[in-house]
Amino acid sequence: MNILKLENLTVSIKEKIIVKNVNLEVKKGELHVIIGPNGSGKTTLLASIIGLSYVKICNGKIIFEGKDITNLPSYERAKLGISLAFQNVPNFKTIKLEEIVNEISKKFNSNKKELISILKIENLLSKKLFYEFSGGERKKVEFFLSLLQNPKILLLDEIDSGIDIDSVNIFAKIINDLIDKKVTIILITHYGKILEKLKKITKVHLMINGSIVLSGDISIAKEIMKNGYEKFLKKWKIKF
Amino acid sequence: MENKVLKALSKPSKYGIDLDISKYFVEEPKISENFEKEDYEILEKASKKLEIKEDFKYVQINQKAIYKRYQEKGIIVIPLKKAIEENEIAKKFSWKIVDPCLDKYTALTYLKGNDIGYFIYIPKNVKVDFPIYNCLILKKDIQLVHNLIFADENSEAHIVSGCTVPHQTEGIHIGISEFYISKNAKVSFTMLHSWTKNVHVRPRTSAYVEENGEFINYYISYSEVSSLQMYPKIILNDNSKAHVYNVIIGKNSAKYDIGSKIILKGRNSSAEIITRAVALEESEIITRAKIIGKNYSRGHIECLGLIESEKAKISTFPTLISKNKEAILTHEAAIGKISREEIEYLMARGFNEEEAKSIIIKGFSKIEVKELPEIVKKQIERIIIKNL
Repeated sequence: MNILKLENLTVSIKEKIIVKNVNLEVKKGELHVIIGPNGSGKTTLLASIIGLSYVKICNGKIIFEGKDITNLPSYERAKLGISLAFQNVPNFKTIKLEEIVNEISKKFNSNKKELISILKIENLLSKKLFYEFSGGERKKVEFFLSLLQNPKILLLDEIDSGIDIDSVNIFAKIINDLIDKKVTIILITHYGKILEKLKKITKVHLMINGSIVLSGDISIAKEIMKNGYEKFLKKWKIKF
Repeated sequence: MENKVLKALSKPSKYGIDLDISKYFVEEPKISENFEKEDYEILEKASKKLEIKEDFKYVQINQKAIYKRYQEKGIIVIPLKKAIEENEIAKKFSWKIVDPCLDKYTALTYLKGNDIGYFIYIPKNVKVDFPIYNCLILKKDIQLVHNLIFADENSEAHIVSGCTVPHQTEGIHIGISEFYISKNAKVSFTMLHSWTKNVHVRPRTSAYVEENGEFINYYISYSEVSSLQMYPKIILNDNSKAHVYNVIIGKNSAKYDIGSKIILKGRNSSAEIITRAVALEESEIITRAKIIGKNYSRGHIECLGLIESEKAKISTFPTLISKNKEAILTHEAAIGKISREEIEYLMARGFNEEEAKSIIIKGFSKIEVKELPEIVKKQIERIIIKNL
């Protein structure tokens, strides 16, 4: 059975259509990768799955574990087990990381102390959330917080952008372990590095101008990472 | 003197709404070392409201002072009225740090308060490990409190005063607190306030800090109140320090006017005034902070406000006056609302809008105060968590 199903999903931001007629079926424990050039609608697609208020569903449905969640607010979706690692995070000038960790742990009855040391973020606990972090630290903490929700499905939006190679390895290992534990993951990335380390990629989806134009195995990503989007689209005569 | 003070009875405070104090009846003073049953009941309600579980050394219910004799290290905590009779320091310093003619509230306390309040004496070289807790309870009408705290050379003490009303009542609480911090001494004064909507509050605090002394004034008020106005004044001598922290969470139609004035008189003295104001519902909060640099010194003001309702209002007036070219004075002030982006982020993390706002306001209200003992910090945190 599908854990997540997107049916003819069309999404707009400020009256502009960003995601067009997307259909996607994801089963429990699968790892789906979405690639696509900048501005192709990948982030908006994930934002509409978690239900951020700035995205408007114009058409279609989002089905999670058989339930239509298209109109549920984001916090209800989070409680059902959907978690998003944001690509861009706000600066919290008044909240320390440890405070938010406590709040999320309390809400989701979770404890991920071992992950704090695996991700080497102990020294950030007493700092202001994101505000006092470097670029790479932001990514690590955001990944960590998304995991703290004990999600059934994890939406990872470019968590590997701007992080060092050691961190890429750590992230990949965490993802592999999650997949082994039957957690479902949708990952957006621009880099092949993390894809090389992921053991069980179920599908790779290519998103162009708001639509998924091609779905297949890892070879799609490999070829694009090597030659770029333009060459790939020309070669395969993909029209959009 | 008496005549001057009598005149001051009609002198309104420079700030805050003017109150008619003539209609209130001041109870006769009472001093006791034992609680009566009724006192216990009132105190129990008060400690619950104030989140204080520790033993109080001094309790005042309207004009009745109840206290326990302090038996350690020569520390004295007794009603000021009694202290003036038996202690030279109390006699010498009473009404020397706060001017009875400051306004009608100090004048009334001078004339009618009978020096009911606490006197705390910390002997030379004595460090009090555990905070000294006091509780001031307004039962009805008017409560006049006059406190004097004298920290002798090289001593250290932490004082926590909880002020509250046990039930809905109408009235005025006036609290005069005079602090004398001797050389190398350190005193922290934490005021935890929880009032109700028909109560007016006029604290009047002043501190004189000798060379190398340190004074920490932490004030938190998190309830509705009819009006609350204060403007403590601190004078700093050479190498001395003052830290003033105000956390105001305005609820309902509360009107707050919270100021602080610090005079950097001594060379190398330093001060900071940090205020966090959260205006909810129909509350109005005015924050004032003034630092006057008269010597080679440093002063910083930070006033931050969060406004969370269309009907609420926050005004902030930071003032820096330099009378010496070597005084370095700075300020930072900002009033705003909670960022939509932050709320949206927290909602995606599973918190509904109210919970998200509460997390942000809680974080905003926490000021890092390294000078306070852990137990007091935890108390403050409990208050913030419970009341937001």
